[in-house]
Amino acid sequence: MITVSNLKKSYKGVMAVNIDHLEINSGEVIGLVGNNGAGKTTFFRLLLDLIRCDSGEILSKGLSVTKTEDWKSYTAAYIDEGFLIDYLTPEEYFYFVGKLNHLSKPDVDDFLNAYLLFFDDSILNKGKYIRDFSKGNQFKIGIVAALLSKPELLILDEPFANLDPTTQLRLVEMIKTMAQQHQLCIIVSSHDINQVSEVSSRILLMEKGAIIKDIAGGDMAYDALVDYFKVKTAH
Amino acid sequence: MKISTFLSHQWLSFWRSRNANKSLVLQIILGIFYLLIFLEVAGLGIFLPLILKESFPEKPPIPLFTSYLIYYYLIGLLLRFQMQELPSLSIQPYLAKNITRSTMLRFLNVRSLIHIINFLPLFVFIPFSVIDILPVYGKIATVCFLIAMFALVINNHFLNMFIKRKTVNNLWWLLGMLVFIVCLKGADYFKLLSLEKTSSLIFTAFLNYPVLCLLPIALAIATFLINNSYLRSHLYIEELVSERKLKSGKTYSFLDRFGDIGDMMALDLKLIFRNKRPKSLVILSGVFLFYGFIFYPKYIATDSYSALFLFALLITGLFISNYGQFLFSWQSSHFDGMMTYNTNMKKYIKAKFSLLITVCTLQLLLASFYGFMSWRIIPIQLAAYLYSVGVNTFITIYAATYNYKSLDLGKSASMNFQGIGAIQWLQSLAISFGPAIIFFLLNKFFGFWSAIISISSLGIVGLIFQEQLINWLTQQFYLRKHKILEGFREK
Repeated sequence: MITVSNLKKSYKGVMAVNIDHLEINSGEVIGLVGNNGAGKTTFFRLLLDLIRCDSGEILSKGLSVTKTEDWKSYTAAYIDEGFLIDYLTPEEYFYFVGKLNHLSKPDVDDFLNAYLLFFDDSILNKGKYIRDFSKGNQFKIGIVAALLSKPELLILDEPFANLDPTTQLRLVEMIKTMAQQHQLCIIVSSHDINQVSEVSSRILLMEKGAIIKDIAGGDMAYDALVDYFKVKTAH
Repeated sequence: MKISTFLSHQWLSFWRSRNANKSLVLQIILGIFYLLIFLEVAGLGIFLPLILKESFPEKPPIPLFTSYLIYYYLIGLLLRFQMQELPSLSIQPYLAKNITRSTMLRFLNVRSLIHIINFLPLFVFIPFSVIDILPVYGKIATVCFLIAMFALVINNHFLNMFIKRKTVNNLWWLLGMLVFIVCLKGADYFKLLSLEKTSSLIFTAFLNYPVLCLLPIALAIATFLINNSYLRSHLYIEELVSERKLKSGKTYSFLDRFGDIGDMMALDLKLIFRNKRPKSLVILSGVFLFYGFIFYPKYIATDSYSALFLFALLITGLFISNYGQFLFSWQSSHFDGMMTYNTNMKKYIKAKFSLLITVCTLQLLLASFYGFMSWRIIPIQLAAYLYSVGVNTFITIYAATYNYKSLDLGKSASMNFQGIGAIQWLQSLAISFGPAIIFFLLNKFFGFWSAIISISSLGIVGLIFQEQLINWLTQQFYLRKHKILEGFREK
């Protein structure tokens, strides 16, 4: 799905992303972990061609993301509020994203019906523009809009941080089933090592822009991550 | 905590905002601009006696001056309503700190007073009073008159703040005030009452009985107190910011048939109507339509076709330059998203281009009524329109690909230079004076019709090659895409 080779990006001499080689396959749920400034968000932005890399390249289904726009048709992302059109109501926003992906209004309505539980009655028919929603609710809107395009590659930046506990648990379930049933490739970053080791099939640990650990998800991963961050505190 | 600490924080926030210290050139241009305004206003104050004597030699200057003060007062209120912003949000970080309410109130009041519009009138009143009033009425009357005028400024200021805090939807109030002033003027026109006489009566009274200056002072104190007590009881963030109404979704079904491009145009329309800054720009373009009544007759009388052409360009094409110079910046808050949605840039630019053309066409149709003034207006406006949609649109979009500054859509548009760089100044000059000079030369050496036809053909050529030009603009955009994105992420 994704092939990264010799990817480098630095800001004022500080290496933000420095990845020699990385392969990500469809059906994988990748958990991206690392302290602030490790380069997680920068890596996401590079994947979406939102910043220009210094060297190297990213291939999505074999095509460079900087040279083609083909990836847009099967990639969806939610990184921050910069992905939401804040002067629209949630409904208008969903219809807009739906239309860009050739879904009619009834299609979108059907789709949204499946997420009523996830919305917890705090999103639809509220008579508010997106800019007036709380950050957590904006995140819900962003995630569902990303799913609306039926992506093959889904990128979420710290989805657990802003969600309430109930929604966090629902999201974990959603991610797991989506990856299994639809062979979807999902990349999530998180500071919650508990949550991320449960949801991910594979965990990438970043430090100073480089991937220093590439391990399978699950309890073992949790222990390994706890060890790593403990050592960091001791320093 | 003292008020001076608040003020110094405000000072820092002004100079450290990312937009402020970006370009030295822009700072200098803005500095010169403000200096010019000050000089002009001060010059007006100094030369006002002379100007009045020149224009109305038979009337004594002081009654003449006082008879127009009422217009100054009413129009001042209207201007304030447009230009001044409530400083409420600047206290948000302090609300939960150990600071008393009265300190915060004092800060809000002092902070709101610091605005160019409160100082400008003094530059007119002081020179005029010293030159004209002092020799006639003496020192005490002059000082009292100045105090009265300043008290009225303060009164106007707090009155405006109060009205603004009270109203949810600014526009209706603005319209209401406009209608009120027009009615007054109408009553004046039909001789029901004489505004000028009333004004003269009131303000000359101040000069004859200096004690009367206590009245405006009392008025100023009263509005201040009302404002203050209102603020005191509403010092909660959600109440300082305007009330919320239920927002309903909207569809522009007539745009559906244009597919993706139609959807994006609908998005642009929502952007315009739901955000303060673009909305006021559009209203400005609408107001500009009426400028023809002021400027056209003069130039029709003297057959100055080049001047007519320049105004026709502004009247039909103002939206292109106003909206177009921030073409991408309007969406700076969600441009990351725009660049990952399943659509391509060419469609995006095409949608923007179509929007500019549609509005410009609308402006042309409305402005066609000026044809009643003189038939020559019609070909002039048509040429200006064709040039605007066929040439100026592309220049504007090209310049917009060099605009890396993010915009805050919630801020008022007047005197707002956020997001404007040197290239935007150049672009505005290029799209207005450029064609006007071409028109002038052609008209002078080859006659009216050759000027009209040449200018129109330039526009038509642009329209014929629009596909190629949009492709080229798309390429230009991609060259600077990452730079634009980076700039937009810096709020």
